Amino acid sequence: MLNAFSQLMAQSGKGLFELTVNPQNESTTPVILCNGDFMAEIPVALGCEFSDLTLTGAMGTALPEGADLIDGGIELGVESRMCNAIKSACYYLESGKIRTPEMIITTNACCDSMDTLANLMNAYEPWAHVPRFIMDAPHTLDEESYAYFGRQLREAVTFFEGVLGRKMDWDRLREVCVESNKQSQLLLEFQELKKAVPCPAEPDLARQGTELSRWIKHRVSPEVTRWLEEVVRLTEQRVKEGKGIDGVDEKVRFLWQDLAGSWSTGTVLARLQKELGAVCVMDYVSYATWTPIDLASEEKMFASFAKRFLLEAAMTRQALHSTDLFIGDILRIVKEFRCDAVIMPAHVGHRDTNSRLKLVRDVCRENGIPCLVLGIDIWDKRFISPDVVFDRMSTFFQQTGLIAS
Amino acid sequence: MKSGLQSEVFEGFASAARSISNPELEKWKGGGGKVLGYTCSFVPEELIVAAGLMPFRIRGTGSLTAESANEYFEAANVCSFIRHTFDQVLQGRYDFLDGAVIGGGCDANRHIYDNWQKSPVKPQFLETIFFPHASGEPMALEFRGQLAGLKTKIEQHFGAEITDEKLRSAVRLCNETRSLQRDLYALRQSANPPITGGETVEVMVAGSSMPKERYNTMLRTLLEELRGATVPERKIGARIMIVGPGHDDTSMCDIVEELGGLVAADLTCFGGKVIFGSVQEEGPDPLQAIADYQVLARPFCPKNLGAHPHIQKELLDQVRALRVDGVIGQSFLCCNMWGGELYILHKELKEAGIPMLRLEREYVSGSSGQLQTRVQAFLETISGGGSC
Ligand code: SF4
Ligand code: SF4
Repeated sequence: MLNAFSQLMAQSGKGLFELTVNPQNESTTPVILCNGDFMAEIPVALGCEFSDLTLTGAMGTALPEGADLIDGGIELGVESRMCNAIKSACYYLESGKIRTPEMIITTNACCDSMDTLANLMNAYEPWAHVPRFIMDAPHTLDEESYAYFGRQLREAVTFFEGVLGRKMDWDRLREVCVESNKQSQLLLEFQELKKAVPCPAEPDLARQGTELSRWIKHRVSPEVTRWLEEVVRLTEQRVKEGKGIDGVDEKVRFLWQDLAGSWSTGTVLARLQKELGAVCVMDYVSYATWTPIDLASEEKMFASFAKRFLLEAAMTRQALHSTDLFIGDILRIVKEFRCDAVIMPAHVGHRDTNSRLKLVRDVCRENGIPCLVLGIDIWDKRFISPDVVFDRMSTFFQQTGLIAS
Repeated sequence: MKSGLQSEVFEGFASAARSISNPELEKWKGGGGKVLGYTCSFVPEELIVAAGLMPFRIRGTGSLTAESANEYFEAANVCSFIRHTFDQVLQGRYDFLDGAVIGGGCDANRHIYDNWQKSPVKPQFLETIFFPHASGEPMALEFRGQLAGLKTKIEQHFGAEITDEKLRSAVRLCNETRSLQRDLYALRQSANPPITGGETVEVMVAGSSMPKERYNTMLRTLLEELRGATVPERKIGARIMIVGPGHDDTSMCDIVEELGGLVAADLTCFGGKVIFGSVQEEGPDPLQAIADYQVLARPFCPKNLGAHPHIQKELLDQVRALRVDGVIGQSFLCCNMWGGELYILHKELKEAGIPMLRLEREYVSGSSGQLQTRVQAFLETISGGGSC
């Protein structure tokens, strides 16, 4: 099942690289380039391509030349301990490998490293002529914040219209939002199904679904909707039959409270699942909290875009907001997904996570939840190797009695 | 290099800068005055002064190990300025504060709020405000909204009424501080200035560590003394400008000046960035004037994505006006913001033919040998006309 679904993922990821990392790309579709996430529905409705340079850098670290990209970024000397996804993105940019976009959008969402990338993009001399728009993503989460950011997103549409010389087709935007809402609903349904014990499907499908629906080449397309429908249908069937993941004897369910990054899924997490029956039932990209885009009025539509952007996109939810939100998520996920333990990868590049580890440990202790802090580089397995991570996690599961020694 | 400055009033500033508490602060507390701490130069002192409180900028002075803070902030991955500063908080060195406002700038700074709130030393009043990450009218308006919220909370907690008149008067007072500090900076334009870069840092740090009126009075006296001082003849090597985040110690200036150079200017969070321009004193809405000043007039923090052209312009203007021979960009390890900004500036200054040295250091590195060697090599390169 996983292999079949991964094909769309592979195609879509490749599509992102073809679009972004190719200065000679001759496609005439205008490209909007952002330092991080953006509301996919808007470029799609405008008939534009959209690319995210952080994601490009992050996905680059998974390529065979990933280590060279990171090393190239290190040699630039931007900041020696900065996130390696961003170093790789900086290298792509500064070595002239990125196709010149038609428009640049930068926001501070979500982390300091992404801001650094934004600053490099805005100061990149060969792109001095490219029209750009800067947005301020607030760290607060209330109706006022959504309205504030929603107004900026609306302004961004006016900016795009000005550059493109044509108006937004609002009916088309609504149509795209309907598709997007369908996908969000399916992601939530899949998430509900994953609560079953044993976990009925490869948990990583949720991450793939989110990436496909929002971030990479096929975003918001009916093709992704069909893919998600199929995932949900097959998973529902497995739940009815009481089946767990093929070939896995589930013994432990855990939360990986970070992004999976570029190497952990196929190495550590796959091995833990297969060899020890330790299943990563949730990670921070898979965790879906999507609320439907409200189509009642233009203002409501933009406020709900803002809410999605600020609250519901993985890295932003993790890095832009308070520790209370982060810890609330941990407790909720542990309860709802019946996790036996929390693993904090504590990616070395995350200034935010590395500033809240004590609070996470304290809360886990108070709630009797075994918690392991790793301190790995989710984008560079040379920092701490997958074998070492596997050993540490299996020792932890044994020492906490979750798995027999 | 020493300026030969002998002044009682300067000693007052220096002792305030070299420790956390100081006699002026103690006098204020002794008289029943309250002190509100803050962590970022974008938290407007005007609002605190208007409430009848003394603003105090929280820093890590005196910290050596940051051991306790490292439990909260992972040592290898979080900037040492934040860790040492928070360590001093945990050690109880800030127990004299009646409250604190965390200016949420970078990711690490923002989390001081979360960590302090859940620590055993949580003050009774702890708030946070977030500086916008872009400049424009909507952002200035949004920031005004945050300031209005903070104003209400201060009023409620401290039982103070902050009227527009009180705000206007606080604006005048803080503008006067900035203006006096600019006068101090101007003295370094001369070929043989009466005050060094290191001494200037101490006067600046003292500015956010004691009651404003008292500080202004003392600074006026110091300026008079400096204007009338006979400065001993000495040979000054390269004139250097320092750019980077909030360096509240003199270590980099000391290295440069002991090697015969002069730190003639800076664009840092305790120095050149806080004396830029003035808040509008007229106008119907003083809170909006403060917000406009912070968001529109001085966006010199790279956490603001539109800041770079402003930083670049200000830097080049000062390099020209103050005949700067070379720029030292220093940031702390794990500071993504300044790491990126200094990378960009380095490229641009190279094209403009202005030598620049980039340094990543720890907050408590004192005058470490490695830093000294790199600065020495840089100064020699400048004097020798070589490229860097
Ligand atoms: S959120 Fe974390 S992984 Fe993503 S770019 Fe920022 S530091 Fe890197
Ligand atoms: S030096 Fe950098 S990381 Fe440290 S507090 Fe300042 S902006 Fe933040």
